[in-house]
Amino acid sequence: MGSRASTLLREEEIEEIKKETGFSHSQITRLYSRFTSLDKGENGTLSREDFQRIPELAINPLGDRIINAFFPEGEDQVNFRGFMRTLAHFRPIEDNEKNKNYSGDFIAFRLYDLDRDDKISRDELLQVLRMMVGVNISDEQLGSIADRTIQEADTNGDNSISFNEFIKVLEKVDVEQKMSIRFLH
Amino acid sequence: MPTGSGWLSPAGSGRSLPGRGLLLLTVLVLLEGTVFRLGAASTPDVSGHDTKDHHKATAIGHNSTKKAFPVLDLDYGHIQTPFEISLWVLLASLMKLGFHLIPRLSGIVPESCLLIVVGLLVGGLIKIAGEKVPPVLDSRLFFLCLLPPIILDAGYFLPIRPFMENLGTILIFAVVGTLWNAFFIGGLLYAVCQIQTGNSSELNGLGLLPCLLFGSIISAVDPVAVLAVFEEIHINELLHILVFGESLLNDAVTVVLYHLFEEYSGVGTVTVMDGFLGIISFLVVALGGVLVGAIYGILAAFTSRFTSHTRVIEPLFVFVYSYIAYLSAEMFHLSGIMALIACGAVMRPYVEANISHKSHTTIKYFLKMWSSVSETLIFIFLGVATVDGPHFWNWTFVTVTVILCLVARVIGVVGLTYIINKFRIVKLTTKDQFIIAYGGLRGAIAFSLGFLLKEDHFPERNMFLTAIITVIFFTVFVQGMTIKPLVELLAVKKKQEAKRSINEEIHTQFLDHLLTGIEDICGHYGHHHWKDKLNRFNKKYVKKCLIAGERSKEPQLIAFYHKMEMKQAIQLVESGGGVKMPSAMPSTVSMQNIQPKKLPPPKTVERALPQLPKGREEEIRKILRSNLQRTRQRLHSYNRHTLVADPYEDGFDKFILKKQKIIELENKIKEMNNYLTVPAAPTDSPTMSRARLASDPQAFSVKPDSDSVPIIQVDLASPQSPDTVNVMDEFRRADQEENQGLMMRCPRGPSEPKKSEDTEGARDQQKLMRCLSDPGPSADEDEDEPFLP
Repeated sequence: MGSRASTLLREEEIEEIKKETGFSHSQITRLYSRFTSLDKGENGTLSREDFQRIPELAINPLGDRIINAFFPEGEDQVNFRGFMRTLAHFRPIEDNEKNKNYSGDFIAFRLYDLDRDDKISRDELLQVLRMMVGVNISDEQLGSIADRTIQEADTNGDNSISFNEFIKVLEKVDVEQKMSIRFLH
Repeated sequence: MPTGSGWLSPAGSGRSLPGRGLLLLTVLVLLEGTVFRLGAASTPDVSGHDTKDHHKATAIGHNSTKKAFPVLDLDYGHIQTPFEISLWVLLASLMKLGFHLIPRLSGIVPESCLLIVVGLLVGGLIKIAGEKVPPVLDSRLFFLCLLPPIILDAGYFLPIRPFMENLGTILIFAVVGTLWNAFFIGGLLYAVCQIQTGNSSELNGLGLLPCLLFGSIISAVDPVAVLAVFEEIHINELLHILVFGESLLNDAVTVVLYHLFEEYSGVGTVTVMDGFLGIISFLVVALGGVLVGAIYGILAAFTSRFTSHTRVIEPLFVFVYSYIAYLSAEMFHLSGIMALIACGAVMRPYVEANISHKSHTTIKYFLKMWSSVSETLIFIFLGVATVDGPHFWNWTFVTVTVILCLVARVIGVVGLTYIINKFRIVKLTTKDQFIIAYGGLRGAIAFSLGFLLKEDHFPERNMFLTAIITVIFFTVFVQGMTIKPLVELLAVKKKQEAKRSINEEIHTQFLDHLLTGIEDICGHYGHHHWKDKLNRFNKKYVKKCLIAGERSKEPQLIAFYHKMEMKQAIQLVESGGGVKMPSAMPSTVSMQNIQPKKLPPPKTVERALPQLPKGREEEIRKILRSNLQRTRQRLHSYNRHTLVADPYEDGFDKFILKKQKIIELENKIKEMNNYLTVPAAPTDSPTMSRARLASDPQAFSVKPDSDSVPIIQVDLASPQSPDTVNVMDEFRRADQEENQGLMMRCPRGPSEPKKSEDTEGARDQQKLMRCLSDPGPSADEDEDEPFLP
């Protein structure tokens, strides 16, 4: 297992991933071992079931959506490159390398916006709220919360939240700084 | 006394405000001087005289010589102590009043400086009058009475999220930073004393241990001073919580170091074993304090679960449990401050879910009031004690101390930040470091600790005290006064005045879930993972125990939303939301009665009135009639043990349904282009803004740029806004159709049935008018009286 792992991940690959995502060498190797431990089928790619096997994800309200974020459009398998690419969104951003492609806000937005139409509609918001709040709250009440939320954020009056409006709200939360995970060196 | 008060009234009238303020100040100070002379003079004499007289009278009485019956007698000794305490408190409060009458002054000089000056004046007056200055900054008085309210206020309203996020940084600054300061200052002072051996004899006998003791006393950043100064400069939340958190958590270090060096100063040596014990003692003190606080916090939360029938004494539980926690910790020589913080922070989420809205307001205002008075008194006493205390000025010692304090702080902060930044996601910039270093103010705690030293153990006590006072004065005056312009100069990020909106709440939670998920995928058990685990544990077990009834299942988001809606509604009504009403409605109460002072001109009122269709009118009238009747039936007689029964405690779910209908109605009204603006009040003094509780989610105020939405500028500082207005609208319950099985309860629902919640529906204004004309027997009405001008 160990030997196979090291042969599967070649130096050039590591270099490429490093250049693309900005992770350090040790981080990449660590995450690779995690990748292989998740990959029960040992075919070098992860499927949705592999993710769902993680117990904590099952109880996470956003579990399914997060899993979906790893899989590019329409595909069912993700290789290590794709895995790293998604994780790169959560790397702490140094001030000098603000990379818009790998910004955390964008992934957050994508997690709201399931149909990829670049705006969060009331229904999408309702779905997210429902997931986070549980089953005890009535639809009406959630509806009023959703309405309120959209009313607050919506500046152009189209009754949905576009990416720019989303960013503006998140600025207050100072999300760019907080939207990152400390990957151990 | 009579002479003093007689001066006040005629003097004030007819002069400009600053003039009046200054006059008030002078008069008050003189007043205090007079009183103290009178008080001090009369006490020994009068009481003695009285007793003598009394004995004589009884002795003589046996000989049946009758003395004239004293029609008017002066017995000052009888009431002396409470009287003097009350006078001090009165002085403090009047000073606060006075400062805010002179706006320019409070802009330049922080309040703390002014208060110290006042204290100096009063102390000077007393000294001139030849009386003995009362030992006002007696350590017991300070630690047992003056300090707890301030710390409880800080702990109860501690912003938990930023505190926890930065806990590592705060701990490093508090523990390592204070240790560094203490040893650096103590050690270098000892070195200086050694060098001075030849010259001045005073410094000769200063051993290493007393120096280290002094270092440990002077090194701790003081929460009272930090609070007082930082209140007024409004820097961003991160810096505020870093400096403030440090000032709170370094108490444990100070306690241990102080006791360690004090114990062994007599012996003269500290071995490694003692050092080791000291470290263990530190852990015990800190963790023990937190544990004690947490236990009492949980007890308080548990008690509050059962208070639904005795709402009047709810705030009392919060205060008493916290104070007992503090005293228990002090009893074991644990860190009382940490106990108090832990108690307040632990009990808050559960207590707030259990208590009524009024109790919540009561707690908030009592805490603010007590902490405010305490702080004022502390600074005044500092001034008085300065005049009084036996001073021993030694140029070398004092100047070296001051310089060393500054140097040690700067080096400490810079060095620690270098290490800390390696572990932080959000790095601390140079500007941040400067503010943190500059904000390391010393205050009354240091003085009290010095005061506690026994003269026989420490012959240098007076010198220490003088040096401590000098450092305190230096930090409070120089650093306190200059920090505001420096903050402006360096363009440090200020506190965002933005209110926490529902958007932010949703997204914050969303992000939490997201990041927890990612951490789980990476197999990396970090910060989010543990926070998530704690939340889950909390939701599953703890909330069920500590929160009464159905609220234990309420998700955080919903609770937040409700709180926000209520706040908005209160503010809406207070800002004159009564304007929006249908003109067709008969009004038995004129508009003037329901609006606060800031009133839009009647013209706007006319324009703002929407027209309701006839059918709606009838419906509304019917609702009102039936509900008013129901209200009368429901009200109980008032007695001291219960407030008027809270009709809404179980009706919140129905209220929500009502809200939906109101919103629909409002949407119709929106189309009629309503505008309602109330000019905002001028910005508040720091005291007032503290009273406004930035930590509470404030109501969302509608953006001014959208056309079809009524614009509401809410005057948060309205002088009539003690949040006693209860917002739930009882009348909505009349119209509810079915119970949709919502499991929401709002135990904080108000018991005042007569105020309307939000004015989005014209219906509400209708009810507001009608209900005000209704002479209900509700006793609670009295306390809401100020709402009607």
